[in-house]
Amino acid sequence: MRLYLKFVHILIKSVEFSDDEKKRKKIFNTAMALIVLLGIMLPVSFFVGIVVYAITGGLTQLGGQEEGIALFLHLISAFSFVFGLNVIYNVFYFSADVESILPLPLKPYQIVSAKFTAALISENMMQFMIVLAAMAGYIFAMGLPIWSWLVAVLCMLTLPIIPMVYCGIIALVTMYFTHFIKNKDRVNKLTGVLTLFIILGIVLFCGNMSDFSTDSITQAIASDNSLLNVMNIILPHIRFIVSGVSGDILGIVIYLAINIVAVVVFLLLAELMYFKGVIGISGAGSKKQRSVDFSKTVKGLKTRAVSLSYFKKEILILVRTPAYFMNCVVINLVWPILLYLVYALQGPDNFLGKFFKDLSNGNATAGLIFIFCASGISVLITSANSIASSSITREGSHFAFMKYIPIDFMTQINIKASVAILISGLGMIIYVIIAGILFSLNGMFVLFTCLISLFSVIFASYFGVYMDSINPKLVWDDEVNALRGNYNIFYNMALSILLVAVLCVIAYLLFSFVGVSEIVLEIGLMIALVVFCGISYLLCKTRATKNIYETAA
Amino acid sequence: MIKFKNVTKVYNKTIKAVNNVSFEVRGGEIVGFTGPNGSGKTTTIKMLTGILPPDSGKIKINGFDIKKNMIQAKSSIGYIADSPDMFLRLKGIEFLNFIADVYKVSDDDRKKRVSELAERFELTDALSSPMMSYSHGMRQKLMVIAALVHNPPVWILDEPMTGLDPKSSYELKEMMREHAKKGNAVFFSTHVLEVAEKLCDKVIIIKKGNLLYDGTLENLESQHLNQTLENIFLEMTEN
Ligand SMILES: Nc1ncnc2c1ncn2[C@@H]1O[C@H](COP(=O)(O)OP(=O)(O)O)[C@@H](O)[C@H]1O
Ligand SMILES: [Mg+2]
Repeated sequence: MRLYLKFVHILIKSVEFSDDEKKRKKIFNTAMALIVLLGIMLPVSFFVGIVVYAITGGLTQLGGQEEGIALFLHLISAFSFVFGLNVIYNVFYFSADVESILPLPLKPYQIVSAKFTAALISENMMQFMIVLAAMAGYIFAMGLPIWSWLVAVLCMLTLPIIPMVYCGIIALVTMYFTHFIKNKDRVNKLTGVLTLFIILGIVLFCGNMSDFSTDSITQAIASDNSLLNVMNIILPHIRFIVSGVSGDILGIVIYLAINIVAVVVFLLLAELMYFKGVIGISGAGSKKQRSVDFSKTVKGLKTRAVSLSYFKKEILILVRTPAYFMNCVVINLVWPILLYLVYALQGPDNFLGKFFKDLSNGNATAGLIFIFCASGISVLITSANSIASSSITREGSHFAFMKYIPIDFMTQINIKASVAILISGLGMIIYVIIAGILFSLNGMFVLFTCLISLFSVIFASYFGVYMDSINPKLVWDDEVNALRGNYNIFYNMALSILLVAVLCVIAYLLFSFVGVSEIVLEIGLMIALVVFCGISYLLCKTRATKNIYETAA
Repeated sequence: MIKFKNVTKVYNKTIKAVNNVSFEVRGGEIVGFTGPNGSGKTTTIKMLTGILPPDSGKIKINGFDIKKNMIQAKSSIGYIADSPDMFLRLKGIEFLNFIADVYKVSDDDRKKRVSELAERFELTDALSSPMMSYSHGMRQKLMVIAALVHNPPVWILDEPMTGLDPKSSYELKEMMREHAKKGNAVFFSTHVLEVAEKLCDKVIIIKKGNLLYDGTLENLESQHLNQTLENIFLEMTEN
């Protein structure tokens, strides 16, 4: 047991960043973490709690008050499964520590249980809060006694176990039997595509519901039990913990028993299958080398301008590394889907539908809102895809390369920012043009919006590179880890959101209370963005270059 | 070609990795830089190549100050780091083309050098596959080709022999000789004495950041008569 705890501790520490950073940076990190916690986590949890509270209240009148929370726990478990699959494959089979752990005199179940626990804890921190919030909503709605909080905490801690056990079993079995999947890149691509499909499925499923209010959800849950029935077969333990919260001791016992059985089965399988699966793994892309005509290869050597060549290198690495491709490039396709989801849920007669109608009719206020949204979304996606804000981090162990080649740092920063500007900007401009066609907007207006988007992207890109230069996370063993748990990306996003919010509030105040006209505000935004671009460019030129020069490689 | 004058580097205000070290490497010389693990070799090389800023002292490469004329100084260097794992998603040929662009090598020169060096290292087939699929030795050989593609007047190598098979390591030593013969400076670190013994015109021995010896091997041996080089080395670095 002590060995197990120690092992878990070591694994978690290597997941988190534990560089010997200076005190100033530590304070900065703590402050930023607080902002994220208070600014994002608490509101989301609060929202979840309220929704569960309202739905449970509604269901109580219709009978079946347990179904709301049950469905929610199923949903959360489904997310654990979807996001856990990739993590489990990587942690069990492809992380760099596997090579140093395998020679140790440990049994497979010891390795697997420690790795499983570490993954469980580090991947589900965010979920813990949300589950607790949902439980709180349920407990308040049902007016349950104090001690049911104990069951809620138990549920919070143990809920991800079974979905992650499923991931573990799938990983063990596939790695044991197939040869095809013994390749990190393939696994990352497969799980990435799977995740996209499942998200798309959820979006389409929700889009089918006519409108989105707690009332309609309550109705849907009360009238149609088929989804819940299916989920109850896949995840049989959830209904027991739900009745457990309401005071059913037997339910708690059965819930725990199911969990224990699942873990035991999983560890038995690990004992049988882990070693055979993990031995003979290739890092990635181990294609057999064909013999090729060398003179042809040499003909491929062609002179290109330095910046262009560097730019191409950055793009190739982004596109060819599955972790980067998914998190930096494909993610740009996801948000229009989400926007569509909001639109579909709202229905054509609601706020968004009205807004689009006004926009088509050339309403000036709608135009103003459209332009501000374009600017805000541009900043948000540029920081969310993290092409800029992980551009130095992604250099990782060969960060020194940036420093010994004869290209000055600002040129390299410019190239890194251009990559972000190209990918984020191209996406944004295409979306704006599509919107322009859909709502038959005025050409000049579309052009102006494109320019606004472009400047927003430029600003956010340079700012992202600057943020990453302060404290790049250069020590990572795996590209997924370069992005996941990278606080620079998070902080950059938090600051971007803050800035966009401030801009919008100022514009709103000027518009509603001072009565500044739309056109003045739009031009004002343009000027503000140009100034921001200048500032972030100068930050890169003076501070980021200095940071790169000083960062120990 | 290399001028390293009174250079000091302290990590985190406590670890004195390099302490007031001075030395010089002239054109046509092969200089071995040796010392026990953790003696400051990599730190010295990182300062030479502009990766680490020194706390004090002056560094000149090919007549250019590494701080004031950073770009020219760096253009004069071919550098092989102690780990060859970089840009593994690129194919070998893409990496070499990129490096040739970075150092502004002409079309003809890069074609000539790449094919010549790749054939010597028997890397011709591998060049069209991603570097991910290379063994450590193959990556190291690719780094050698990349470092020489612009025919640098100063060649700096950090522990270049690690992971090379005997034939490749022989080829590399030959290349170092040839490169020096053309009037270029070659500076490499190693903890394997035999390499230094056979190859170098000069050795520099460093221990805990302090320079212990800078001169020819004959001179070193004549100072310590009747001792093998290994014994001299052990003696010097122990006390
Ligand atoms: N980034 C760093 N931060 C702190 N100390 C370092 C760092 N790099 C090296 N050191 C320390 O500096 C000393 C010299 O290291 P190094 O130059 O790598 O030695 P060598 O290459 O001769 O083995 C060692 O004591 C090492 O621990
Ligand atoms: Mg070293």
